[in-house]
Amino acid sequence: MDSNRTQAQRKQAVRDNIAGWLFTLPSTIVLLVFTFLPAFIVVYLSLFDTNLVGQMDFVGLANFRQLVTSGDFWGSVFRTLYFTVGSVPVAVAVSLLIAVLLNSKVRGRTFWRMGFFIPYITPLVATSIIWLYIFNPDYGMLNAALHAVGLPMSRWLTDTASAMPALILYSTWHDVGFAVIIFMAALSRVPTELLEAAQIDGASGWKTFWHVTWPMISPSTYFVVIIYTISAFKMFTQVEVLTQGGPVDATTTTGFYLYEQAFGQMHFGYASAVSIGLFVIIFLLTMLQRKVTGSKVFYG
Amino acid sequence: MTTMRRSVMWQRVNRVLLYTAITALFLAVVFPFYWMIVTSLQPQDAVFTVPPELWPKHPTFQNYIDAWNAAPWLRYFGNTFFVASASTLISLVTSSLAAFAFATINFKGRETLFNLVLSVMMIPTATTLIPNFLIIRTLGWFDTFYALIIPFAASVFRIFLLRQYFMSTPVELWEAAQIDGASRLLYFRSIALPLAKPAIVTIAINSFLGSWTSFLWPTVMTQSQDKQLIEVALNSFLGEKGQQWSQLAAASVFTTIPIILFFFVQRQFIEGIGGGGIKG
Repeated sequence: MDSNRTQAQRKQAVRDNIAGWLFTLPSTIVLLVFTFLPAFIVVYLSLFDTNLVGQMDFVGLANFRQLVTSGDFWGSVFRTLYFTVGSVPVAVAVSLLIAVLLNSKVRGRTFWRMGFFIPYITPLVATSIIWLYIFNPDYGMLNAALHAVGLPMSRWLTDTASAMPALILYSTWHDVGFAVIIFMAALSRVPTELLEAAQIDGASGWKTFWHVTWPMISPSTYFVVIIYTISAFKMFTQVEVLTQGGPVDATTTTGFYLYEQAFGQMHFGYASAVSIGLFVIIFLLTMLQRKVTGSKVFYG
Repeated sequence: MTTMRRSVMWQRVNRVLLYTAITALFLAVVFPFYWMIVTSLQPQDAVFTVPPELWPKHPTFQNYIDAWNAAPWLRYFGNTFFVASASTLISLVTSSLAAFAFATINFKGRETLFNLVLSVMMIPTATTLIPNFLIIRTLGWFDTFYALIIPFAASVFRIFLLRQYFMSTPVELWEAAQIDGASRLLYFRSIALPLAKPAIVTIAINSFLGSWTSFLWPTVMTQSQDKQLIEVALNSFLGEKGQQWSQLAAASVFTTIPIILFFFVQRQFIEGIGGGGIKG
């Protein structure tokens, strides 16, 4: 009797093992081939000078030496940070303002929220095209509007000084809806008792916001800041459509630089080294996000 | 009494300010879409007017006809629809099977495998673009739909999300199903999967939109015109048409409309993001 049961159990265990591995097999294979394996190949390729179609010369760490010493990579990192510093505070401020407005008793909230969210889901190429027209220095809408209210006009995407601000303006417009949704969810989780208590103590709306709401939603703020920063380092499409990294290299951010070195210049070895540099940056940012949100979460 | 009337007045002022602020921000965000539509209805020479006309004086649909006839858009739509549907369907099957196993089957090496799968999440797609280009070429998949579908047939984030759902399904259900003689696959299909519907809907929308709006990957992995996806095709169209803004705007409108319609039908997408379910 007893041995019968263990035999049945053993049979069940074997069946479980087979079912478990069979069920996970398709996903595992795909992840191994297209994510895990590439992580090793990129390290291997970074040690070569290669165009992937014949030329394959081992160069040791020369690509990394070039990465660290030539200014191009750091230039792209600097421009990405410029993009981040220019876009993230504005995006956070605007999206928080929108979220606070929508969270007060406003009619037709679903409608407003949808409007603010639409740019985020619309494709980058299609919306970049219309902004290309809006940014046109000679007959574009933006200069016409600035002129109408007496503000100075700009060459926007065609000038090295204003191309990045234009790119920032477009990207902030496109991505702001994401933060609106995150902040709306965060604001709705702030306990109303706390807000009422502050009001009873005579705190003004402004004070209540800074001393109660703002600290309570800080995990979401960190989350939004880091997600935006990471996506700035990966950014490619709008740069390709709006500026192709130019004029000169004014908008060549790291993600675009990587693409340009690989598929534009065919420097696949060096571009692999850039990929690893990009990986390190994104890895550090992700760690920072985990550390920061992990220690200060108010998900209640 | 007067203080009360005063506070009522203040409230009214506040409400006016509130709606003014929301409307102003809303108009600023929505304006480019308005401008896209207006431009698409303008005769070509009208787009160079300074200052631009805020309302088309002589609206025309000719741009839509010209833009549509200038490229095989039906083919691009078909390609995109096929790739988006296929990768969504396949990844739903593979992810839900894996998630189900990780959540409910006690198999040897489960923890190790799950940790391995999770560690893959740390590798950003930007880093793997070059080696994947090499892998796709080695597999002979360059410039095929395989290159656009199979690499997206698995997703750690999706496995993780579905696993949460399957873990919250009561064990008693599985025990009851076993007593009724149901096989594991039958239980998976007819009980566990329907219970995870909210997650499946979120994932399906996410995946479909991801394929529809993809640009960098198809740019790198395809070449010939008959394999082109909609966003890549639109960018080529921009290259061909240069400054013919009314046709470009028309093409932007008709390639964006499916996304907007899709979005209005499936509002859950927003809810999914609000819950913190985000991963590019």
